[in-house]
Amino acid sequence: MKGKGTVTPLSSFFSVEDTQKAAKRVQDTIAEKDLELEHLQGFVADNRDLINLVGRLPEHLHHDVMVPFGKAAFFSGRLVHTNEFTVLLGEGYYAERTSKQTVDILNRRGKALESQVDSLKAMVQDLKAEASFFNATASEAAEGLVEIMEDYEEESSSERECPLEQDSSNSSGSVITKHADEDEEFARMMARMDELEKEECEAESHMAQSDEDEQVEHDLHQFSDQKSLHRNLKFSEQSQSRKPPEQTKGETASNEENFTDKPSCSGPESISEDKVSHGNVLASDVKSVAEKDLVSPVVENVQTVPLSRSQVPLQSSNPKFDREKAFTGSIVEHTHNLQTKPREQTVATTQSSASQVSKPVSRFKMQRK
Amino acid sequence: MGSSSALRELQRELETKTNDHSKIQKDISKNHQVRKKYTIQLGENELVLKELDLLSDDANVFKLIGPVLVKQDLAEARANVRKRIEYITAELKRLDATLQDMEEKQNSKKEAIFKIQQRIQSLQAGKAKA
Repeated sequence: MKGKGTVTPLSSFFSVEDTQKAAKRVQDTIAEKDLELEHLQGFVADNRDLINLVGRLPEHLHHDVMVPFGKAAFFSGRLVHTNEFTVLLGEGYYAERTSKQTVDILNRRGKALESQVDSLKAMVQDLKAEASFFNATASEAAEGLVEIMEDYEEESSSERECPLEQDSSNSSGSVITKHADEDEEFARMMARMDELEKEECEAESHMAQSDEDEQVEHDLHQFSDQKSLHRNLKFSEQSQSRKPPEQTKGETASNEENFTDKPSCSGPESISEDKVSHGNVLASDVKSVAEKDLVSPVVENVQTVPLSRSQVPLQSSNPKFDREKAFTGSIVEHTHNLQTKPREQTVATTQSSASQVSKPVSRFKMQRK
Repeated sequence: MGSSSALRELQRELETKTNDHSKIQKDISKNHQVRKKYTIQLGENELVLKELDLLSDDANVFKLIGPVLVKQDLAEARANVRKRIEYITAELKRLDATLQDMEEKQNSKKEAIFKIQQRIQSLQAGKAKA
């Protein structure tokens, strides 16, 4: 099986002869440039010598020199006017200059030459890099190196985790990663379940040691509470097993909301309506609670605290209690819960709930007295 | 038989096109050489102008005309060099334009040659099948 990639020997792209030819051509240009560079450097050296000479000439009034005459003949002569130079500026222009001025001109010329040398050196360096590349390619092609090409396929984020060099085909890779995904999801689910169980335990222990005030009504409603709690858990379990983690979270949250809302509106029967949407329940809740203004803040508070499971049954029991006896019980319990489990709440909600609850508490206490 | 005559015609066409192409290439290389010469001259003239500008006004300036040095006015020499630089830059621009033109021509010729080669190949393939 060939897979999705293609394997082509490098020598089919660049034949060995071609690369060698290219390398040779670059080498030739390098040699050319090197010659040019040598030439220029010769100029630079000449210029330096000339500067020295011109600087030295005016030290004496005259110099005895051999004057070239024609190609092969010299005769002795004498150099006078040693501080007068006629300098060729270029393009057939000459200028009469003194020794010092001539040295200045020659220095400027030297600078121009240096810049030319630098640029040429840079060029040669570039060419050398090119040549080394060509040589490497030629040797690689000669050695029979192969080029492996593989189309890049757009993959989902989960699939990207699986290494590209996986030999198996694309589909099997995706299956594997899907499994991994499911495992991860399962692990997350289990973690959530553990959390919920822990909270349940806490809630139960909490119930055991709850206030004397609620002891009576707790006994009355424990059964229904637990039942509803179980039901709720089961429901969340189902939803978790069915949905991806984020969705599950949201659903459980709404679930809890449903659950907490319901008892306040219709007592034990609400359990059967477990799947009624939150909006409906809330509406009915508001309606039923309308007469008792003080209960509605409690419900709102519960909605802001979706994660703590222990609160749920306790609070749910309270509205029932309200209905049967007085509304005040629920409020006391709510404050109690807030104190014991502030973990999930933001500071703002704690404050608001406290402020909302503070009034009822005092009223309750007043009534109790 | 018709296909073979067509093939021969195509080959003749290809030959003329390649001749044109090589001619253009030669022109381009010539253009490059001329350009190089002009750039060198431009650099030299710029150097001369710089030096002339640095000279004081009372300096004697000569121009080599044939075997003799002729004394020249400094201002005149500067004007002459400037004019020369202008001329050279204009010439360089013109050369650039012609070079571009020739390169375009070369590319079009290349394409034409490629097409003819393809046609010849397809004709030969058809012939081989038949």
